[in-house]
Amino acid sequence: MSDALKKRKAKVLRNEGGTPEMMKRGRGEGDPQDVRVYSEEVELDGRDPEQDYLQYKESCESLATLMSEIQDLKANGAKEGCAEVEQRRMQSCIHFMNLKKLNRLAHMRLKRGRDQTHEAKQRVDVLHLQLQNLLYEVLHLQKEISKCLEFKSKHEEIDLVSEDEFYQEAPSEISRPHHTKNDPHQLTLARLDWELEQRKRLAEKYKESQATKEKIQKSIEVKKEHLTSLQPGLNAIMQASLPVQQYLSMPFEQAQKQTEIARHLPPPLYVLFVQANAYGQACDKNLCVSISGDVDEAKALSKPPEDSQDDESDSDAEEEQEKTKRRRPTTGGQLDDKRREMLKRHPLSLCLDLKCKDGSILHLFFYYLMNLNIMTVKTKVSTATDLNAAISAGDLLKADTLLSCLYTNDQGRETPNPANRYQFDKVGIVCFADYLEELGHPYTWVQTLGGLHFPRDASEAVRVGNSLSASQMESTMKLLRGRVQSRLALHKQFASLEHSIIPVSSECQHLFPAKIMSRLARWTTITQEEYMALPYTRHVSDAGLAKETDLYFMAVVERGTARLQSAVVLSPRYPEISPLFSLCLSWKGERSGRTDDNLRAMESEVNVFKNELQGPRPGHQLLTNQISRLCVCLDVYLETERQDDGVEGPREFPREKMCLRTVRGPNRLKPFKYNHPQGFFSHR
Amino acid sequence: MGPVELLHMSVFSQSFSPCGRFLAAGNNYGEIGVFSLSAALSPDATALSQKPVLTFTAHEGPVFSLLSTDCHLLSAGNGEISAWSWSELIKKNVKAVWTKRPNYKSSLEIPEINAMTMNPRDNSLVVGGGDNNVHILDLEHGTFKSVLQGHSDYIHCVSVREREGEILSGGEDGAVRMWDSRTGRSVHCIEVHKYESCARPQVGKWISCLTTDSDWMLCGGGPSLSLWHLRSLSPTSVFPLSGCQRQAAFHQDMILAVGEGPFVSHCLLGGEVKAQIPCTPQSLNTLQLNTNSTEHRVLTAAGSSDHIDVFTNLSYRAFSLSF
Repeated sequence: MSDALKKRKAKVLRNEGGTPEMMKRGRGEGDPQDVRVYSEEVELDGRDPEQDYLQYKESCESLATLMSEIQDLKANGAKEGCAEVEQRRMQSCIHFMNLKKLNRLAHMRLKRGRDQTHEAKQRVDVLHLQLQNLLYEVLHLQKEISKCLEFKSKHEEIDLVSEDEFYQEAPSEISRPHHTKNDPHQLTLARLDWELEQRKRLAEKYKESQATKEKIQKSIEVKKEHLTSLQPGLNAIMQASLPVQQYLSMPFEQAQKQTEIARHLPPPLYVLFVQANAYGQACDKNLCVSISGDVDEAKALSKPPEDSQDDESDSDAEEEQEKTKRRRPTTGGQLDDKRREMLKRHPLSLCLDLKCKDGSILHLFFYYLMNLNIMTVKTKVSTATDLNAAISAGDLLKADTLLSCLYTNDQGRETPNPANRYQFDKVGIVCFADYLEELGHPYTWVQTLGGLHFPRDASEAVRVGNSLSASQMESTMKLLRGRVQSRLALHKQFASLEHSIIPVSSECQHLFPAKIMSRLARWTTITQEEYMALPYTRHVSDAGLAKETDLYFMAVVERGTARLQSAVVLSPRYPEISPLFSLCLSWKGERSGRTDDNLRAMESEVNVFKNELQGPRPGHQLLTNQISRLCVCLDVYLETERQDDGVEGPREFPREKMCLRTVRGPNRLKPFKYNHPQGFFSHR
Repeated sequence: MGPVELLHMSVFSQSFSPCGRFLAAGNNYGEIGVFSLSAALSPDATALSQKPVLTFTAHEGPVFSLLSTDCHLLSAGNGEISAWSWSELIKKNVKAVWTKRPNYKSSLEIPEINAMTMNPRDNSLVVGGGDNNVHILDLEHGTFKSVLQGHSDYIHCVSVREREGEILSGGEDGAVRMWDSRTGRSVHCIEVHKYESCARPQVGKWISCLTTDSDWMLCGGGPSLSLWHLRSLSPTSVFPLSGCQRQAAFHQDMILAVGEGPFVSHCLLGGEVKAQIPCTPQSLNTLQLNTNSTEHRVLTAAGSSDHIDVFTNLSYRAFSLSF
């Protein structure tokens, strides 16, 4: 069945595809070729591609069946060239031809398709270009429109009177209400007209006023002349009244003179002068302010407008020249001059006298270094009673250290103005401390009192001038007075300590038992180097508690063969910062607070529990009380020391102190705490 | 706390938290400082992490003894014992869970408490101190259930032998007393200073450190530090350490001891001193090994200074915690 069907199909194909044969023929003939080609193109139009595709599929299928039939036949032993095979071969040839034709047609169709697409594309491109042109034109027009819309007229900047006001005030020939009411353009023009009118009027008025002003000025001058002519007469009256003032003891004149001189003070000294005067009048009657120095020189200094700027730049240039020319021999002398110039102080200085209750006076001399823009202070103490010379007290009232560390870490050895560093570099000053003797100390509080502020931290609230000075005046004056008093108290105490007497006032009697056997044997001053060299003070210096500004002393307490050395650090801020004791006991060998827990406990008894020893405020008796406490503790230490059972004979130190227990706790501490009314010793 | 107070500070006691991450230390001002070991031991530790995370005043007098139970920190001050919850302390809440006072007879001076130790057998606390007696606090009921009387001077140290049910106490009178924890009777009394091999009459006779490990006991103080065999009650080796020893501990096959002198002594059981490792404080009061946490396994030692030396390796000081 299938075989027959295929044959039929093949036949149909052959009938339909008559053209390939024609093609073959056409190629063979050659001449009528063009006609043929055209006919094929025409044929192409007539054919349906869908149909062609089906035809292609059919011929492929029948080719496949034919091939398989041939194979079957051959497999069944058909001979080469046998009729059946031959027939099928023919048929397949026809099919091949058919396929070729179809292929050609497909190619042509493709080409035509491409051409058509290209054509269409070109058309579209032309249209697109037109569109672009139009769009550009539109954009340009829009821009023009917006430019027009944004146009600003100059009159818009003029602040015109409001519309209502305009209609009210302007005369009708300018306002023309029936024209302008409905036409904003006309309205604006009218308002501008009105503005012009008004301005003209005002300009006239201005001229008039100027003229009257001149007239008045002239009359003022005349009156002034009259007043100045009165001055000599008044002066004469003042002169005449002087004896009366003196007689009535009213120092108006003197105060006035001082204010007159004060005008020539440099600004920082002036701030200090005003503030100290104010403080003295308001709070502290014992504060006295005076100005000393050469007034004429100060006047000369303050008169010419300072052109130091030029000077400086000149000197800079000179210096550079020097450097380039390398004229060495003269530079040394010039540098010296420059140094002197840089460190020059203002001819006027301020003297503050601070009187204490006991009659001693603290004199403070304030100077202003003009080129460094800092203030310095020199001090002197004059006492009411003659101080008997205590050797160890030598440093106490020395001007150099008296005011050291009035505020924490304010040693007054380095200049507080950071700018000075560069100035110093220029003239070769290594350290400001070398000039302290001559110039005085630039403590930070001095700058503050003068209203000078050199910020270190960005966070600091910056206040300058009078308010800064006023903010610290009271506290500083209190500190100054406290410092002098504590130094004077120490001075007195040292004098008796050197004679091995520990002064204990009646208010402090209750802190100690009545009978103290240990005695102070020696009280001397030592240097910091000596202090540092002691083996039992290492922990203090390691903890940073032994500073350069501190004073150092050695107290030796003795009882029998026992000898207790105690190295003392005395802060310049005593009694606010208490003295620090380090102990070393030589008795049956050497022990120190570092190795012996009981000596360590004694140290903490005087160093840590110092509040009990403060005495009446402000605690000027702290040091002597600490020394007596030390003596008591040594008594307890020696009396409670364990008696070696192996050694015969009486104890060196019989037990006299009443103790509840002699040792306590894991580190076997002795009872160092004295309980006052009962009079026994207990543990902390 | 000012620099002068720090200069005169002594640390008397230490205790590790149950989790092993914190260390509590008590000083002579009655303060307890809690340090974070995990912060101080971490690789990015700063100077700040060596400061206490919490400092509080626990007692009026010095804190001579600290002890950690499962969840509490027990601290002993002047005649009183306070308990603080570790979990609250870590959250920085400072409030004593309870405070108890043993019944003291004398009234003039409150006796101090020098040593405390746990007796896990009946969950009781053994307390020794200034009134010459050992007090036993029943932690279940919170009452003092018995008093062991016998010492003639104050008690420095106590120890518990759990298996035998024995309590040991050493005191200023130079005696080590052994007590039966059930009957409260004194079973034995060793007067260490009467044994010639360890006596040091020039120093004194008090016993200031006492530790036990099964049949062995370490004791020292005025007499030299010595290792005792308890069944025969005889000293087997004496350690040639100068100065009074304040705390000793068995560690593996070694003995660690601290006392006068700025070092931790490593001793062999035979009686030789193997090494003396230098420390910051001039004399040491306390020594603790942290066994509660493997990652923070350190040895800490403290004494007459505000520093607590930390040893991550037993052979050198790694760094110091400080108040």
